[in-house]
Amino acid sequence: MFEHRIVPDGVPAPERITVMQGQALVSAAPQAELSTVLGSCVALCLFDPEARLGGMNHFLLAEPPVGVSGDTVDEFYGTYLMELLVNQMLAKGARKSRLRAHLYGGANVNRNMMRIGSANADFARRFVHREGIELVRSDLGGSNARRVDFRPASGQVRCRTVEDRFAPPVQPTSRPAKATGDVELF
Amino acid sequence: MTTMTRILTVDDSPSMRALLNHALSNQGFDVAQAEDGLAALDWLALNEVDVVITDINMPRLDGFGLIERLREGSRHRDRPILVLTTESSEEKKARARAAGATGWIVKPFDPAKLVAAVRRVAH
Repeated sequence: MFEHRIVPDGVPAPERITVMQGQALVSAAPQAELSTVLGSCVALCLFDPEARLGGMNHFLLAEPPVGVSGDTVDEFYGTYLMELLVNQMLAKGARKSRLRAHLYGGANVNRNMMRIGSANADFARRFVHREGIELVRSDLGGSNARRVDFRPASGQVRCRTVEDRFAPPVQPTSRPAKATGDVELF
Repeated sequence: MTTMTRILTVDDSPSMRALLNHALSNQGFDVAQAEDGLAALDWLALNEVDVVITDINMPRLDGFGLIERLREGSRHRDRPILVLTTESSEEKKARARAAGATGWIVKPFDPAKLVAAVRRVAH
C-alpha cells in the first residue's frame, strides 16, 4: 500500500510505488512516484506531456528460445512487454505520437551477465527508435547500479548511481510457460 | 507454378510488424504491412490477399472495426482473418469471433505456431 505523509510545508509527500522486474505501471496521479533499482535490468519510462500521464516498466530479457536465431535477447517476448506498457498508456488517454521516452539501466554489474545487460540496453534503444518515440534521455550501460524515480504526471525523472548491493541479483525473465502464443481457430 | 501465399499484417507497432515480417518471410510467405485498420482497408482496396493477421488495439480503426468492415462486403466475406493480440479477455475474444474472425492468437507469438495457423487457414 502507498504511504500517505504530509511534509511540514503542507505539500503531500510522494506516494512511492516500486516497479518490480517484469512489471509495467502507468499513473496520472500527481503525487505518484514510480521507483526502481536497476542493475543489468532496463527500465523504459514513457511520458505524454499533454495527457500528463506516465508509465514505467522494468525488465531483463533472456536469450531467445531455441530455434530463434539472429537475436541476442528474446525480442518476441521483449516487444510484447514493451507493447503492454504502450497499450496501458494509450488506454489511459496517451497518444503514441506524443510519447517521450527515457531509458535507464543495462549496467554490467555482474561479469557473468555482461552480455545480457548490454543486449537488453541495445534492444530497448532499438525498440524506442523503431517505434518512432522521441528518446529524451538515456543513461545505459556502465558498471554501476542505478536508482530511478519517475513522476508520471510531470515526467520528472531522477536517476542516481547507487551501490550494487541495492540492486538485488536477478535472473533474466523467460517468457512465462503460459505465454506460448497459443492459437485458437474458431 | 505455385503462387506464394500473400499475408497482410496489421499492427500499429513497427517492432511487431518487423517481427511478423521476419517470421513469415522466412517461411516463404509474401508479406505486406499496414499500420492500422484504415491503412489496411486502403491497401485491400487495391490488392489481393490470402490471409489477414490483425492486432486489436490500434488508432483510427481497431481490429474489431477492421474485421466488421471486411465482413460487410462480399469480397472478403470468406477471407481468413487471424487476430494477434496482447488481449487475453474472453469477452474480447468472443467479440472478435462474433465480428467474423477466423482465429485468435495471443502475444507473444510463437513463430512456428503462427506459421502453422496461417498454413491451416490459407486457401
